[in-house]
Amino acid sequence: MAEFDHDDDSVVVVIGSGAGGGTVANELTMAGVHVVLLEAGGHLTNEDYVNNEWQAFNQMAWLDPRTTTGTWRIAKDFPNLPAWIVKAVGGTTTHWSGATPRFNAHEFQTRRHYGRIEGANLLDWPITVDQLAPYYTQAENNIGSTHRGGRKPQPANNNYKVLANGAERIGYHFYATGPYGTNAEPYDGRPASIQDGFNFQGDKNKSKWSTLVREIPRALATGNLDLRPNSHAVQITHDNSGRADAVLYLDGEGNLHRQRARVVCVAGNAIETPRLLLLSGSALFPDGLANSSGQVGRNYMRHTTGSVYAQFDKPVNMHRGETMAGLIADESRHDPSRGFAGGYYLETLSLGVPFLAAFADPGAWGPAFTAILDGYANTAGLWIVGEDMPQETNRVTLNSAVTDKHGLPVPNVHFDDHPNDVAMRDHGYRQAELLYEAVGATSVHRTPPYPSTHNMGTARMSARAEDGVVDEYGRAHDVPNLFVSDGSVFTTGAAANPTLTIVALALRQSEHIVDALKAQTL
Amino acid sequence: MTFPAKFPQLNETQLTEHARTVLIRVIRVAFPHSRIPDGPYERTADIILKEAQASTWFRVALTQGLNSLDGLAGGDFCALDDDNAYRVLKGIEGTDFFGFVRRTTVLNLYDDEEVWTVLGYEGPSFDKGGYLHRGFDDLDWLPEPRIEEYDGPETFEPIWRGPGAAAGNGASTPTPDSGENQGKLAATLSTQQDPREGARPADQNPAKASV
Repeated sequence: MAEFDHDDDSVVVVIGSGAGGGTVANELTMAGVHVVLLEAGGHLTNEDYVNNEWQAFNQMAWLDPRTTTGTWRIAKDFPNLPAWIVKAVGGTTTHWSGATPRFNAHEFQTRRHYGRIEGANLLDWPITVDQLAPYYTQAENNIGSTHRGGRKPQPANNNYKVLANGAERIGYHFYATGPYGTNAEPYDGRPASIQDGFNFQGDKNKSKWSTLVREIPRALATGNLDLRPNSHAVQITHDNSGRADAVLYLDGEGNLHRQRARVVCVAGNAIETPRLLLLSGSALFPDGLANSSGQVGRNYMRHTTGSVYAQFDKPVNMHRGETMAGLIADESRHDPSRGFAGGYYLETLSLGVPFLAAFADPGAWGPAFTAILDGYANTAGLWIVGEDMPQETNRVTLNSAVTDKHGLPVPNVHFDDHPNDVAMRDHGYRQAELLYEAVGATSVHRTPPYPSTHNMGTARMSARAEDGVVDEYGRAHDVPNLFVSDGSVFTTGAAANPTLTIVALALRQSEHIVDALKAQTL
Repeated sequence: MTFPAKFPQLNETQLTEHARTVLIRVIRVAFPHSRIPDGPYERTADIILKEAQASTWFRVALTQGLNSLDGLAGGDFCALDDDNAYRVLKGIEGTDFFGFVRRTTVLNLYDDEEVWTVLGYEGPSFDKGGYLHRGFDDLDWLPEPRIEEYDGPETFEPIWRGPGAAAGNGASTPTPDSGENQGKLAATLSTQQDPREGARPADQNPAKASV
């Protein structure tokens, strides 16, 4: 591994090592660029992971204090856990489920296609699906998405058998066991899945793609990467001309360091990224760095989600096999006759007993609650994941009343469902119930959204500087050498799980940065 | 709401064996599983008692809560049958005491391997080679489904214009930002749709599923 000096101002500093940051670090170092990669979490490896939901949660999750406001149920049930993401090298790619659908073309142009929706801050992306297509292909190849690039599909696990048969019986066509970011056969030096059923807990078998198993080792092998785990960025500083010039970060002992930088790429996920920009306010940037639009932290999206767990009179054993290797795309279309704009996917999902107890109906007790668990072995589950409306008032801000152990304001996440989100979720619940009843469900249970796993929109892309935070390459409109490299840049959220698109955008951004560095324009 | 006392002596309370018995009964009534034996309930009660030792606040809440149950039960909470005991708990479900017991139970009763076995959850699997050869696909009461993506005559229409819309009208022809589209959405946002309308056209005619 390379070690660069804190005063080396030729390096690119990347903050965050997940889907976006890990990809950018790999692409830049492959092109010969020196990169310092700051990761707030420790360097867990696949061998460290444990097949136990709570132990793994405590080992991997981002548990730094956060607060919540708004009418979302999370603020009541999990007030200090707005998001379920990872704090470790590899970021949230080390616990992602693995579904890799692309956006539909119209989902880059929602203002144009959905029209004006009251309360929704819709805006067309400054790029099209055609512009992103080659990077999507590259991202699928990097991830090893099944059903793409000639790669084999995952086999049908028990939970998928229920989903697919139900889908067929209610007239759906567009279902399959992917595309899915875990090897069905050996690929890219990593083995095929052993169907152990642990995904959110980290994949000990290395069959699931993450930047931990692919991008970061490759970047380290170039000799151009200085990976610094346990390094929590707290401020991006700038020079008198308004160019970013360094990143202040805390090491594991709480000591403050200053790493000078030629370029800074922020990829801390859509809560920490705006928090860092807001913490980086200055006389020149009084409302936070790169926030002349006022959009930093706003338009926070988390996807419209919900789960349905159905019981049958025969065994399912949904916990066996790949958690999300099953996807129905029929409802991902934009069809206003359903009563809402945008679309959603139905994807297999399984929780173990510990997490099903915690999340099935938070706060519930008594016989109706225990019946959900008594039927565990005969239960099938799915997740509704669809496009939620960006709203200016759904927002990450700095909490003025609560600080963390370093004395820094914690992020507050405010969220209210838009009526469109509610209508979509209700539709998804009904379709899921029909699907399961079509294959003989004896009971169905609606589970409310979990703490957010998909976090997007808080530094959004826009063609015009007044509408958003970054341009089509993720470059801040206000700061020429500052990039945002994670899902914060999503102008709108689409229905698709976000990881593939984050990687595709990061690949495109990396190419842009390398070209600009070569041309001496950055 | 129970508050810590101003004078510390008031908090120097100990929980008795009777209190433990009541607590075990509370957990079983609140989280009844006929197939789960006493062991996991007792372990959960002991975790709660241990956590209460670490927190004056919870210890006082727990002591007073358990103490009050016998009174609410007319003498002996443990003597009530399941229905009556449930009714007593329903009456106090908003208390700090019950909330503490409920949360701690959810986090611990269901993180117990004996409970997993009873419920049919198999726990750690990596060391056993996963389920690749141990039944990840052993469900046999439904037909084997297709795993590849759909390759039939229907085409996915990303922008759906209803039955009869010709294939190819979707992705390539953008919908203008028209008043017509806005009006349609606004009008339907509050309308209860028949969920079957969400399905694809091939499914328009068959009899509605009985639900």
